[in-house]
Amino acid sequence: MSWQPELDELARRTAMAEAMGGDDKVRRQHDAGRLTVRERIHRLLDADSFHEVGALSGIGAYDAHGQLRQVTPANCVFGRGRIDGRPVVVVGDDFTVRGGSADASIAAKPLMAEDMAAELRLPIVRVIEGSGGGGSVKTIETKGASNLPGGIGGTRLFWRTTANLAEVPVVGLGLGSVAGLGAARLASTHFSVMTKSSAMFVAGPPVVARLGQALDKQDLGGADIQTRSGAVDMAVDTEDEAFAAARRFLSYLPSSVHAVSPVLPSDDDPQRADEALMSAVPRDRRKVYKMRPIIEAVVDRGSFFEIGRHFGRSIIAGLARLQGLPVLLLASDPFHYGGAWGAETCQKVVRMVDLAETFHLPVVYLMDCPGFMIGLEAERSATIRHGVRAMAALNQCTVPWCTVIVRNAFGVAGAAHQPAGRFSLRYAWLSAYWGSLPLEGGIEAAYRAEIDAAPDPKAKLAEIEERLNTLRSPFRSAERFWVEEIIDPRRTRALLCDFARLAEPLRTPGPARFALRP
Amino acid sequence: MPTVTVRTEVAGNVWKLLAQPGDAVTADQDLLIIESMKMEIPVSAPAAGTVQELLVAEGEAVGEEQALLRLQTG
Repeated sequence: MSWQPELDELARRTAMAEAMGGDDKVRRQHDAGRLTVRERIHRLLDADSFHEVGALSGIGAYDAHGQLRQVTPANCVFGRGRIDGRPVVVVGDDFTVRGGSADASIAAKPLMAEDMAAELRLPIVRVIEGSGGGGSVKTIETKGASNLPGGIGGTRLFWRTTANLAEVPVVGLGLGSVAGLGAARLASTHFSVMTKSSAMFVAGPPVVARLGQALDKQDLGGADIQTRSGAVDMAVDTEDEAFAAARRFLSYLPSSVHAVSPVLPSDDDPQRADEALMSAVPRDRRKVYKMRPIIEAVVDRGSFFEIGRHFGRSIIAGLARLQGLPVLLLASDPFHYGGAWGAETCQKVVRMVDLAETFHLPVVYLMDCPGFMIGLEAERSATIRHGVRAMAALNQCTVPWCTVIVRNAFGVAGAAHQPAGRFSLRYAWLSAYWGSLPLEGGIEAAYRAEIDAAPDPKAKLAEIEERLNTLRSPFRSAERFWVEEIIDPRRTRALLCDFARLAEPLRTPGPARFALRP
Repeated sequence: MPTVTVRTEVAGNVWKLLAQPGDAVTADQDLLIIESMKMEIPVSAPAAGTVQELLVAEGEAVGEEQALLRLQTG
């Protein structure tokens, strides 16, 4: 006797799982311009690579004779698959079943996905819509008791949500409305993306309305809010763009902290010298310039992948390749307060340096920093507290580091341009300019008596400024060996590729000395 | 005709107005300059269009995300 009846039963139950919340719910999902969780997983992964775990789980309904009528599938779908041929874990919320909420969740599923990623040392992509299995008010009635968040037996998913950040690359995709635990799982990632039609919040508009804030989803937690606040790294127009961003982010990283990033072949000449770099920085120090074209000119062509563009904008951050070797790239943006570091910029620096340390990425910093932000708002936002935290992140990191001083290096924020206390490479462009304090504004205070005594105070001020500027030449600093090298900016790419070759064998797999905090 | 409000990313003072109501501008053309942290930071047009209305004057202090001008596009 064969096992055909059971095989048929398996096929029937599998079909029920694949039907998700049913035709009506799937149609509603599509009508709202969103894909189903299964469509998302298939588009994210390499073709036909998804191997699902737990497809049969759900809530079964049986007739009086014990015959199965229907299984409503659990609203968490997970398994393993491949991205660019490399294995990954993917876990997604099924919004067609009870709106992705806790009422239809089986808590062991998202937890096993996280455990699987950690144990198999594979990246995990969280495809999030709804409350991500978080509790709802209704749960009190369905369970007959109120859930203590993090109570007995309920801590492990919360632990993995953050602990995996120190183990494997974690990517979050917010596709739809994301709230509560779902929002926490999206924010607790190395890289997060949301579509511009999505929204993320701790609690949604109906709850917030009770605070007297009448806001729709977009006004409360739309992409504009969340990318500027730094809670989400990137906003894209379509779900396919979100999948492409996740795939690209992972291409720069190792599969876990126990490995180093793959080095891809590069056909970009390491000696390529872009003529535009000679005139990239204006001689007039009050004039700003665009840093992004400078980045493009020095890294492998088309390899720069920016992260968190709208948050902490004085620093441009992202991943790039130098002769195929992935690096973390930091660069100042003079268009944002001249590149001065405010509290948000410092938070961004901490997060990015921690990312580099976790995954053994060498760091390149193209620096133009006139100091920390000043003024009342800067004091109110604890700029100096966040500033010394950023400085600590630099000083604690152990990955190879190379700084190129493009223009300004002033004050304490200026000092935070390479890890202190150990050797790293540093080059200064011809346009480099540094000091404890910028001259502008400082001269009047320091030379007040001399200026007041002069018959023409304005001329005296100009004369002093001229005198000090002569002394401020970076060549005088180089004479004293306060800076190692002043370079022709066109040589930057060649020197950075040389750094990459030196850094490649220094990358040391293993857990970082400290676990990353999201 | 759609109208776009151009805002400043940074707080500072309006240093120079480079366009007036009625002027046709191209995408990325500088519209005005904000002085912030002793730097001259241009604010450019997000798209081609015609300047409809200026909302600030030279010398005026502006805060982050403050509306600077309205641009008619398309």
